[in-house]
Amino acid sequence: MDIIVCIKRVPQTAEADVTIDYTGKEIEKDRLSFDMNESDSYALEEAVLLKEKFGGEITVISLGHQDTEDTLRIALAKGADNAIRIKAEDFDELDGYKTAQIIKASISDLNFDLIFTGCIATDDAYSQVGVTLAELLDIPHASLVIFIDTSEKRAHVHRELEGGLMEHLDISLPALCTIQTGINEPRYASLIAIRRAAKKEIKVLGKEEIKDENILLNTQIEELFIPPKTKEVEFLTGSPGESAGKLANIFKEKGLI
Amino acid sequence: MSEIYTLIEHRQGEIRDISFELLSCGRKLAEKTNSNLTALILGHNTENLVGKIKSQAHRILVIDSEVFKDYNSESYQLALSDIIKKANPFITLMGHTAFGMDLCPALATQLEIPFTTDCLDIDVVDNKITVTRQVYDGKLNAKIAVRDNPSYLFTVRAGCFLAEESDLKTEIANIDTSVTEPDYRKFVEYIETPAGDVDITKSDVVIGIGRGIKEQENLAMVEEFADAIGGVVACSRPIVDADWLPKDRQVGSSGKTIKPKLYIAVGISGAFQHVSGMKGAETIIAINKDPNAPIFNEADYGIADDLFKVVPVLKEKVMELK
Amino acid sequence: MNFELTNDQKMLQSEVRKFAENELAPLAPEIDISGEFPKESIKKLAELGLLGIFIPEKYGGSEFDFVSLAIAIEEISRACASTGVIVAVNNSLCGYPILQFGTEKQKQKYLPLLSSGEKIGAIGITEPNAGSDVASLESTAVLDGDHYILNGAKRFITNGTEAGIFIVFAYTNKELKHKGISAFIVDRDTPGFSLGNHENLMGIRATGNCELIFEDCKIPKENLLGEEGQGFYICMNTLDVSRIDIGAQAVGISQAALDEAVKYSKERVAFGKPICKFEMIQNMLAEMATQIHAARMLVYYSAWCKDAGIKRFSKEAAMAKYYAANIAVDVTRKAVQIFGGYGYSKDYTVERLYRDAKILELYEGTSEIQKVVIASELLR
Repeated sequence: MDIIVCIKRVPQTAEADVTIDYTGKEIEKDRLSFDMNESDSYALEEAVLLKEKFGGEITVISLGHQDTEDTLRIALAKGADNAIRIKAEDFDELDGYKTAQIIKASISDLNFDLIFTGCIATDDAYSQVGVTLAELLDIPHASLVIFIDTSEKRAHVHRELEGGLMEHLDISLPALCTIQTGINEPRYASLIAIRRAAKKEIKVLGKEEIKDENILLNTQIEELFIPPKTKEVEFLTGSPGESAGKLANIFKEKGLI
Repeated sequence: MSEIYTLIEHRQGEIRDISFELLSCGRKLAEKTNSNLTALILGHNTENLVGKIKSQAHRILVIDSEVFKDYNSESYQLALSDIIKKANPFITLMGHTAFGMDLCPALATQLEIPFTTDCLDIDVVDNKITVTRQVYDGKLNAKIAVRDNPSYLFTVRAGCFLAEESDLKTEIANIDTSVTEPDYRKFVEYIETPAGDVDITKSDVVIGIGRGIKEQENLAMVEEFADAIGGVVACSRPIVDADWLPKDRQVGSSGKTIKPKLYIAVGISGAFQHVSGMKGAETIIAINKDPNAPIFNEADYGIADDLFKVVPVLKEKVMELK
Repeated sequence: MNFELTNDQKMLQSEVRKFAENELAPLAPEIDISGEFPKESIKKLAELGLLGIFIPEKYGGSEFDFVSLAIAIEEISRACASTGVIVAVNNSLCGYPILQFGTEKQKQKYLPLLSSGEKIGAIGITEPNAGSDVASLESTAVLDGDHYILNGAKRFITNGTEAGIFIVFAYTNKELKHKGISAFIVDRDTPGFSLGNHENLMGIRATGNCELIFEDCKIPKENLLGEEGQGFYICMNTLDVSRIDIGAQAVGISQAALDEAVKYSKERVAFGKPICKFEMIQNMLAEMATQIHAARMLVYYSAWCKDAGIKRFSKEAAMAKYYAANIAVDVTRKAVQIFGGYGYSKDYTVERLYRDAKILELYEGTSEIQKVVIASELLR
């Protein structure tokens, strides 16, 4: 079973201070650490688990700058067989749609039974690339997948809906799944795997190799801004004892205890 | 006259809240662009559904067929691509839900019309569209210009438009369809999360824990506090992903929606997926080390300090005052 | 000259950092209090290949270089100093002497056990009456047919309670002074070998640190490591390598303290502004960062010497260990100072870091001994 996994290197912003840079359209990235997008790491792990079961090859592909090769190499160390970087520096501004078109053009000569992507990237949060790519390739898709049971020809997948509900689908292969976090437990790369992966070649594709002339951008960032406050929070200050005391009094006043 | 379409989302015979929000959003856009608002219902035995949204749009377009009883993006796409191609509405809206995320990019790509996802707001000035979206873990908003085109497709985030009453005169039209469920993607069944011993939707006081709790052993501290204040422990997604609490304790768009009297977010950063499940709480408290965490935008009271220091003291203070 | 890490070093760094942050850091406060050896963590570290970092693949190791060893120990220690030294001892104080001085048979027998974590490694040098002055040790081993009969006691043995394989130093010929010391590989289940008191330490409290007692302990002759009388040389040679580790551990602990201090100084408000706006705080942060950077460079350089095949790098290793230990105590002290009263509370990480740092100036040769090594190299 051959699987393509699309991954993205993203700044880790969940617990970091995020500041807008001088262009107003980008954030200051030099202080942030970067890593594989969270749901992409689950997508990769799911592919590795299937490879362990069925054999076959995993190709990881990422549209990114030079440092993306570090992330691709980690993917190789975690079980991918081949890695492709598409040079983001050749393609100006990107959105989910444009990214999907570029990836489509880049994998035209690859065989695959499944394509996995993460279900959302934590930076631009589009949730577009996977489903768009499936449509461009004219293959069935399932998004937000949290369970896969596949044979050579068809896959039973569970999609995560709202309210704790899941949807069980039966899809034919080749197909594309966007993978939700929690589907598995992504592994760490062992040192031996790292050493082997460090020597592997990463195929780099640029504009010359991607012949599609009609790649379109749907959207462009005009500006970034700090979200307006919908509610004014009252911060309770002081030592943990003081702030907790104030809060307990508020509970009392409001009749909550 | 141009048209705004909204796709009505329903599941297991019920119209979902997002559909009413989309109708609100659609009416605003229709007014602004001097358009008609059409609500699209794909379903089976749709009388009840149609009745629920009557007077909310200028027109309700019904495609009633057994094949649309349960949502399947592929059969929906087959029907909708025809309709949109023919009618060429200015804007088609759907929810940024498990449904809309699965459908919108594929449908728009097939129709070759520009689209974007997870819009908080959509603004039209002289037929030019800009949308507002959230980026970088919800820490920033982005104003996005969309490529010029006669027709657009957007998914709208839940909770961004208020469902409102309306008294439009509604025309109802039916469209026949020959769509059958494609073999390459078949809906099999819905699977419910098994119910656990605690129903977090029934408690007046809910303490939600998130990534900040760091490890499973620390759950005990929060459980003790919950016992002291007479509440139950719920959580955000990472806690369920790590298997520290069962799925039925998860609050948020893929978990449960709760409306307790008091919600205390402990070590939760406040991703919108979580917020959408708890913002109906009467009083919201956030305890998080990071004073810039988005959760404080939702809270009435906040303590920007180490939860491991605050929670045990808070438990003591609550016991004293009880 | 190139200061950039290689691809595999970079990957090792990012992966070990992630592992340490997610899996080790959350346990660190707990095992500091309980003193419980982190068995589960060690199992996971073994799976990743961190218990045999420079051990060749044919002996079950990961076959990385010594710069990578330093990077890994730094990252692990940044999350948990106890785990850092457990791993360091397994790799450098037990694995290294067997790799360097063991027979092929010894290597084949012991290195895979150490690399896989099936057996944990330890080393017994220090005795109740012999610390810095290694030549004053009192343990003796007497050849009796096919066995050496070992008698004596060792103190402050990291990994002692958990280890299965011990490198133990004892006199085989007291008259030859330090040239009469020999090294032995001792299995935990050797008759006559028992554990003494568990040491109740100030820091690195989860390292299974205890006394070893040898009473007519019968060690098979083939477990002699190197040659008779080569023990002192093996010991010094091993300490050169392990000083890379301890330097790296010091850098890791210091980095953790700086990270904590920077974060706290931005959050804590006094006199109406975050304390990081005060120049006296900035002064401390700037000093800490510079000290850490300098220490890291010394550690990397000493590791590079080893990788480059430079035979004698005792001075470089001693400088790295001496300086890094010295600044670790200072950096963690400053971190506590920046935290003020809170820094003195067990509720805050810097309190632990300060205690953990102190050992760095004591073990694997005190700072004074490092200076003796450095000076003697200068005066040679």
